[in-house]
Amino acid sequence: MRFFTATVLGLLTSSLAAATNLTSPSRLALPADFKPQQVFKNTNLVRNTNLEKGYVRETINVVVENIDKQAQSDYYIPFPSDVFERVGGFEVRDKKATDKGRFVVDATEVVSASGNQYFIVHLPEPLAPKSQITLGISYSVLNSLSPRPATIGQSDKQYLHYAFSAYVPSAYQTITQKTKVKFPSTDVPDYTTTSDLKSGADPERKGATFTYGPYDTAKVVPGTEYPIAVRYEFTNPVVTVHLLERDLEVSHWGGNLATEDRYWLRNNGSELTGQFSRVDWTFANYQRAPTSAVREITYPLKPGSVDPYFIDDIGNVSTSRYRPGNGKTAGNLELKPRYPIFGGWNYSFKVGWNNDLAAFLRETAKPDSWVLKVPFIQGPKASEGVQYERVVVRVVLPEGAHNVRFQTAEGSSSNGLPGANQIHASLSSFKTFMDTLGRTTLTLEVDGLTDEARDAELIVTYDYTLMDALRKPLTLFGGLLSVFIALWAISNIDVSIKKR
Amino acid sequence: MAQSSLDVLLKGSSGKSTRGLLRIIILLTIAAAAVASRLFSVIRFESIIHEFDPWFNFRATKYLVQNGFYSFWDWFDDRTWHPLGRVTGGTLYPGLMVTSGVIYHILRLLTIPVDIRNVCVLLAPGFSGLTALAMYLLTREMSHSPSAGLLAAAFMGITPGYISRSVAGSYDNEAIAIFLLVFTFFLWIKAVKNGSIMWGALTALFYGYMVSAWGGYVFITNLIPLHVFVLLCMGRYSSRLYISYTTWYALGTLGSMQIPFVGFLPIRNSDHMSALGVFGLIQLVAFAEFVRAYLPGKQFQKLLTSMVLLTFGLGFTGLILLSVSGVIAPWSGRFYSLWDTGYAKIHIPIIASVSEHQPTAWPAFFFDLNFLIWLFPAGVFMCFQNLKDEHVFVIIYAVLSSYFAGVMVRLMLTLTPIVCVAAALALSTIFDSFLVMTKPTPESKEKANADKSKAFSSTKKPVVGIYSYFSKAIVTGSLTIYLLMFVAHCTWVTSNAYSSPSVVLASRLPDGSQHIIDDYREAYYWLRQNTEDNAKIMSWWDYGYQIGGMADRPTLVDNNTWNNTHIATVGKAMSSREEVSYPILRQHDVDYVLVVFGGLLGYSGDDLNKFLWMVRIAEGIWPDEIKERDFFTARGEYRVDEEATPTMKNSLMYKMSYYNYNSLFPAGQAVDRVRGVKLPAESPTLNTLEEAFTSENWIIRIFKVKDLDNFGRDHSNAVSFDKGLKRKRATKKKGPRVLRTE
Repeated sequence: MRFFTATVLGLLTSSLAAATNLTSPSRLALPADFKPQQVFKNTNLVRNTNLEKGYVRETINVVVENIDKQAQSDYYIPFPSDVFERVGGFEVRDKKATDKGRFVVDATEVVSASGNQYFIVHLPEPLAPKSQITLGISYSVLNSLSPRPATIGQSDKQYLHYAFSAYVPSAYQTITQKTKVKFPSTDVPDYTTTSDLKSGADPERKGATFTYGPYDTAKVVPGTEYPIAVRYEFTNPVVTVHLLERDLEVSHWGGNLATEDRYWLRNNGSELTGQFSRVDWTFANYQRAPTSAVREITYPLKPGSVDPYFIDDIGNVSTSRYRPGNGKTAGNLELKPRYPIFGGWNYSFKVGWNNDLAAFLRETAKPDSWVLKVPFIQGPKASEGVQYERVVVRVVLPEGAHNVRFQTAEGSSSNGLPGANQIHASLSSFKTFMDTLGRTTLTLEVDGLTDEARDAELIVTYDYTLMDALRKPLTLFGGLLSVFIALWAISNIDVSIKKR
Repeated sequence: MAQSSLDVLLKGSSGKSTRGLLRIIILLTIAAAAVASRLFSVIRFESIIHEFDPWFNFRATKYLVQNGFYSFWDWFDDRTWHPLGRVTGGTLYPGLMVTSGVIYHILRLLTIPVDIRNVCVLLAPGFSGLTALAMYLLTREMSHSPSAGLLAAAFMGITPGYISRSVAGSYDNEAIAIFLLVFTFFLWIKAVKNGSIMWGALTALFYGYMVSAWGGYVFITNLIPLHVFVLLCMGRYSSRLYISYTTWYALGTLGSMQIPFVGFLPIRNSDHMSALGVFGLIQLVAFAEFVRAYLPGKQFQKLLTSMVLLTFGLGFTGLILLSVSGVIAPWSGRFYSLWDTGYAKIHIPIIASVSEHQPTAWPAFFFDLNFLIWLFPAGVFMCFQNLKDEHVFVIIYAVLSSYFAGVMVRLMLTLTPIVCVAAALALSTIFDSFLVMTKPTPESKEKANADKSKAFSSTKKPVVGIYSYFSKAIVTGSLTIYLLMFVAHCTWVTSNAYSSPSVVLASRLPDGSQHIIDDYREAYYWLRQNTEDNAKIMSWWDYGYQIGGMADRPTLVDNNTWNNTHIATVGKAMSSREEVSYPILRQHDVDYVLVVFGGLLGYSGDDLNKFLWMVRIAEGIWPDEIKERDFFTARGEYRVDEEATPTMKNSLMYKMSYYNYNSLFPAGQAVDRVRGVKLPAESPTLNTLEEAFTSENWIIRIFKVKDLDNFGRDHSNAVSFDKGLKRKRATKKKGPRVLRTE
């Protein structure tokens, strides 16, 4: 059976992939001693580091000037290769014209000499010599916050530790730069104070925001590091989705869009020093004290979502509640895991629901061509944020759908997704409910997302004709007919050994 | 019948097909009702596997589906009975798993995306629909009345005695075994009636299937020979009997030996010897009959009969000798406990500790069978009136299974089919006499007399007819009421008594809404997600299968109970002092200990209530170390409060159950709601274990076994050091101080 599916799948992919825009991200290989040419200068650089959530969100605004004699179009952004793998949702725009959309960005392999990996930003128009452009670079870094102390008592406060360099890593010379760090609260017991970088107190504290700099770094060699470490209170779970598998099943016959999200969740916060004490938890829960454990997950659903379910490997989790929205407002699925998820604990579960397809699908002006617009991920909504190490979105289109293309909706600000060329897309066939050919399935794989991508929309266009829709009823009709004919034929055979 | 417009449909050949169609529709409706009435738990809770044993069957089925048949056959499971393991493939009845595996693969072949769990959950209801059909076939062989079969099918479909083991989710061997039992009996009756090798071979085929599905096949193995033996004794030998029995025995025995778990039992085990003996006997009888056909004569026949008896006697003594000398395996303990209900309690407490092995309480018969139980004797009596070969079968079956059902609760299941047959025979006779509009005419009287003349003279009696509409109305009316009450009773019993998954508990909130207590799965899922993949869990054996199925962790003992000593070891660890238990835990690589505690919620099925069985089983192996008496107070009471005996208070089970429990209550007011007592003000101290997880309602408590102390202290010293207590002097020596020399 499996073998059979595999063969069909193979045939199908080759025939369908031709007409699509499916990509798989490739990384450019660079020479071992590669160094970006010093053709740019960062005139002014401001980095905003946001630590309010369980991951690091950075936005860098940098004024870039071309100091070469020729027009240049490739701007290199370096990351140490261990950080590079954890960078998610990388996006660069022209700060002055954000609605023009993101720039095309390529990733590179590790350059062995420096241990760096680069994002290459392709400016849409080469930057003329002496002219300037303001880049808005935004990305998030996953799993870069470590709890200190690593183990805490059940009702203790949790502190996270974050280390970075006072000098923003850049491939080019930077004239002035500063870093603003935004903490979730003013409780920051430990932080590095610099002594010789600038005159006056460094950092400057203002509420929950610390400012390192501005530094005059015209003479500092690019790539120099000045380590800074901060430790701040974060008595919230560090929710990490190790893997999210999301299935969207489109049924034209049923007029239904069925969604199922499968989560493998982990809390990356401080682990418990001792063991879990139910008594303490009962009392803490009664007082609604802040905790580093996941107590509840709120999961907003689109308006009109029906039949939600919340199950895990051993069945229905009865501790959930669905508050359906009325008409236009979004519903809320309130999930309570079977047990509180403390640091280091895992929890895997599935949620799913149905939607009326009409709200997501429409036929284009071209006949038999359809466009589907669905949320890329939906995920829990939590003030402490959610980071996704790996997301696999599978859109199961009706049997016979072909000419599949996808894109992500772009607005004037970041949608939390990486560029389309960083999304691994593939087509396959999925057989279910008496399919003969199998349903065309678009699989999108992305590493390193955060819950900012909750607003991202996925747009899939495909062709689907009437004959495709009629395939299954006709097959069933034919199948049953042949069964009846076979039965009739068999019943007419005389196998008796008696003489009549 | 008065309506002439219906005559076209009801009379003649088209009437026959109309009735046939009607019968099919009725049967399908009965099957649908049988399935539907078993779905209470799915609708109320979810599609979930129930109780204990089904969790193992489910796990085995998943293994079969994932790894294929041959690796299932050779499955050695190292995740149970640590460190012994279990040769699972060779010690189970594979019929159930293979059946659901086949269904699963067929559905997958049709690319219907079905979860194996749903196949397992719905297998029992599905087969109960088939059982109703098989019941129709069986009863139709017993009676000429067309209504008897349909009534029997309807009874079988909804009677609680069968529903108790076949609700959705009750994925146990009985789920398919009862269908196989009834169908095998139908085929057997058919074979005896026709004397046909085909029917005999079919009987053997289904007998083989039955052997692969349930240990209760021994019932068939003994009932069919007994039927034959009784027929022989009644002088009813016929070539039909010979053909059907020999065909069944030869093929059926070979078939049954194909199951590894059964193996050579059919020729070595005492339970199977009656079939062999009757097989030999029927050869002799056949030979005698053959000889008699050529040499008639009273003298010869007498001689032959005595010869037969002599041979039989010789064979019987030979059998006893072989049993004594050990060539043939002696009777199993479960077998003895069938004849002496006190046997198990004394010799094998592990069998007696299972509630379904207890003798049946009388009300249970009415509870499970309702009005069928008083129609049952009437139906058996009617079989005497019309004593054909198949009726002898009904009588034997009725007598035997009535006895067994009285001895052991779970054998109510084998009684139920025959009760349905007999009750349907009785009721259909009543309806056939009372539910006719026409009065008996002299013509029909003569006809009836002519019929009766063929029957035994003792049962011959003047024909009786009912003339008064009034009495007809009274009788049919009251019976209809009984039938309606039967349906209501069955529904009520099914809904209230047999539809709880027992993994999930339901309670009602003050506002009437359902509140689900899901502690078992909470704790099992915690184990599954947050402990190491091969962390060994020790618990009482009841929870072994559930831990294997839901928590997916290795266990020390489980519901298979094949090794009494290993279970007794766990019992000893639970009922001893920590100092004794800890080495046992270490030796068995135990990482976590799981106990069930109902004190907070008033959940009575908890470990402290089962504790005495642990003590008894441990005492069976270590009579010097564990004594049941020590757990009772001087006045012979089993107490857990302040008055509990020191042995009780120091036992690991007691300590784990009440550890830290009093901190939920204001000082000195801790109450155990199951046993309804106030607890000591101080929490027991645990030195060698630490609390790892407690579920929301405290039903499951999991303790982690501490590693050896880093400084080489013993655990009680380490704990008191951590608490800041002064170290106890090791021993207070009374003699004068001496210098240590060693």
